[in-house]
Amino acid sequence: MAGRNVKLLRVERSALADNDAVARALRRRFREAGVFVVNVIAAPGAGKTSLIVRTIEHLRGWARVGVLEGDIVGNLDAQRVLAAGAYDAVQINTGGQCHLDASMVEQALSRLLLEELDLLFIENVGNLICPTHWVLGEDLTVCLVSAAEGHDKPRKYPEVFAKSDAIVLNKIDLMELSGFDRSEFVRHIRALTEAPLFELSCRTGEGMAGWTEWLWARVRRPVGPMPMG
Amino acid sequence: MHELAVAEQLLKLVEEEAQRAGARRVVAVHLVLGEHSHIAEEALRFHFERLTSQGSPAEGAQLRVRREPMRFRCLECDADYAPPAGDWRCPRCGEVGKLLDPGDELRVESLEVEMANTAYEEEEEEKEKEGGRGWPGET
Ligand SMILES: Nc1nc2c(ncn2[C@@H]2O[C@H](COP(=O)(O)OP(=O)(O)O)[C@@H](O)[C@H]2O)c(=O)[nH]1
Ligand SMILES: [Mg+2]
Ligand SMILES: [Zn+2]
Repeated sequence: MAGRNVKLLRVERSALADNDAVARALRRRFREAGVFVVNVIAAPGAGKTSLIVRTIEHLRGWARVGVLEGDIVGNLDAQRVLAAGAYDAVQINTGGQCHLDASMVEQALSRLLLEELDLLFIENVGNLICPTHWVLGEDLTVCLVSAAEGHDKPRKYPEVFAKSDAIVLNKIDLMELSGFDRSEFVRHIRALTEAPLFELSCRTGEGMAGWTEWLWARVRRPVGPMPMG
Repeated sequence: MHELAVAEQLLKLVEEEAQRAGARRVVAVHLVLGEHSHIAEEALRFHFERLTSQGSPAEGAQLRVRREPMRFRCLECDADYAPPAGDWRCPRCGEVGKLLDPGDELRVESLEVEMANTAYEEEEEEKEKEGGRGWPGET
């Protein structure tokens, strides 16, 4: 009888709206627990774990730092951050998935002493592409690249730089050795974002103070001035 | 890559919107994929089709994809441009502009859905019922 009654529905929503909703719930939970959350995104080997380790060392005695370690398999990084003085750490194995999503983080929280933390790092799976779409309820997204990877990374993966609240250039001790063109790197970063850029070396410790001070100011825990060292 | 995870999320959204609108079936999904969304269209279609093949209101729905480029603004020339991959210089003056849009969107713009009944059909049904009760004013 009547023909097909086809109607156009305006939607205008992110295709990942479901993950976004879980992330919003996580954000409320982090707020209630009084925990500042930093999502660290980088390629494998750029120095995510090293940066977290160094930051924990700088904040020792000042902040209780927890870590969620995203990785395809294994728990090496969780052991590393615990050895460095992390208050608690939980390994999340994604079983092949190239990014963490909000429900993985939600599940991992049942194994983490969240209420007792001041700061929580989420080390995302080593990848500059996929993690950018999946918000996790974080206060800050930090994108880390190392001088050894080359200065063309902003041109190749602009979206992660554009989305990050801070950019860390690690392994500056290898800059010369790697033929890293700093001005080329900075020029392209600045086309994408006004976010602060921290140039440092987790090996020598150079530049670490600037990064930790900036982070500490964002965490704004009312426990006192920035520790030195 | 993560097309399977994206397809799962997409399907959840599509089913939720269709249900809310009271639709019987989804005919088409209009999707915006930025050129920097790093989504392989074919892989996304494959997973979406597979996920909907076991009884979903979105079974057989067409994925209509529109690609959106990364866009810059040149402050010198006061003009917007979409540069070719990796070379962000303004086509007029050669300066690298400021990012306007990273072109990494994954957005559902709209759905074409088949509704259970038209308002017209409902009206007709109403009239038939009323007719059964006799002409208004007769009683
Ligand atoms: N030369 C140098 N090596 C570094 C630096 N930071 C990290 N590394 C080394 O880079 C490798 C990968 O670091 P890791 O923190 O495990 O990277 P992740 O995979 O991003 O977590 C390790 O061998 C580190 O010792 C640095 O600033 N300079
Ligand atoms: Mg690591
Ligand atoms: Zn121009």
